[in-house]
Amino acid sequence: MRRASAIEKESVQITTVGDLTGVFESIASTQVAKVKNKVGLSKEFFRLLWSRYSSIRIDPSAQIINRKPIDGQLDKVFVIISAEAGLSGDIDQRLIETMLQNYDKDTTDIIVLGTHGATQLTQQGIPFSRYFQVPESDKYIDVSPVIEAIMPYSKVVVYYEEYVSLGVQEIKIIDLISSLRNMGQEADDDDVITVQDTIFEPSLDEIADQMEMTMMTLALSQTILESSLAQAASRFNAMAVAKKRARELLADYQLEFHRAKRSESDRRLREVMISLKKKRSHSGVKR
Amino acid sequence: MSHPPIDAPELSVIARSPFHVYFEGPAQTVTASNKVGQFDILAGHADFFSMLTPGEVVIETPSEPITFTISNGIITVRDNEVMLFVNM
Repeated sequence: MRRASAIEKESVQITTVGDLTGVFESIASTQVAKVKNKVGLSKEFFRLLWSRYSSIRIDPSAQIINRKPIDGQLDKVFVIISAEAGLSGDIDQRLIETMLQNYDKDTTDIIVLGTHGATQLTQQGIPFSRYFQVPESDKYIDVSPVIEAIMPYSKVVVYYEEYVSLGVQEIKIIDLISSLRNMGQEADDDDVITVQDTIFEPSLDEIADQMEMTMMTLALSQTILESSLAQAASRFNAMAVAKKRARELLADYQLEFHRAKRSESDRRLREVMISLKKKRSHSGVKR
Repeated sequence: MSHPPIDAPELSVIARSPFHVYFEGPAQTVTASNKVGQFDILAGHADFFSMLTPGEVVIETPSEPITFTISNGIITVRDNEVMLFVNM
């Protein structure tokens, strides 16, 4: 049996680990609340912008949602949105596994966001054409480099993690262009606006292009936000499990500590009794 | 910039970035800039869509002026309803 002092020392360390996981757990929980708020704001922004975009009349074939593939290049790209670092549970692994079920290297390029996903792809020997760090989501999400990379493709499939609840996060797959179309259909259409009754500066086409680019950016930003929400929840769960395990370990250690303490005092008592007996037998005292 | 009288008809203004609401409510004027230069929107303005250039936007509300800086944006004006989509 180990010494009580050694057990006590280890249980102090476990208490510290338990406290730390508690701190990480509450940070993750705060992050979940913050990101949820941003998702709501971003969706409302998109709805308002769409209501204006859908009312200006431009050639439907020129609209971003009706794009055709460019000849002579792969027309499909998978965009993987993973976490920037570890400590996010097993969700990124599930994300890569889901993507691989549909992946064909001859027809599809991969663009990966997040170091964690890139590392996992490299470990499995899967090539990817571009890698980006996950854009900062605390203040402003700059997805313009990613948008630039995906613009040549006519089919953009995004694999990301969706927050369902604190306990449940799911892997989601969306076709970005179709999703844009669906998001637009959910929004209210305004009356038709034409150049005859409205002033456009600099021109209707330039404004429509800017709106389309913004909506594409928003659609991608929303998947990044959803992913970071799911990752925060997954981290929260991982920390909650670690905290529970630390508590269980601590209870085990306390039991072991008390046993060791009692065993040590029993041993000391035995030693005293033995030495007393020996002393008595040496001095010839009989009971 | 001239201010309309207190009882002038009002604009309904929404000014948002993807993650921030700058202002939502009634206002007397909106001042912003595009490639042509600075302009004011007052009640009764013609329907208008414009890309905004970086600079300051000022919204004169019934209580106090709201001022914020933008790096880009689009302004739309329809039937006295002004929407500013900025910092996108």
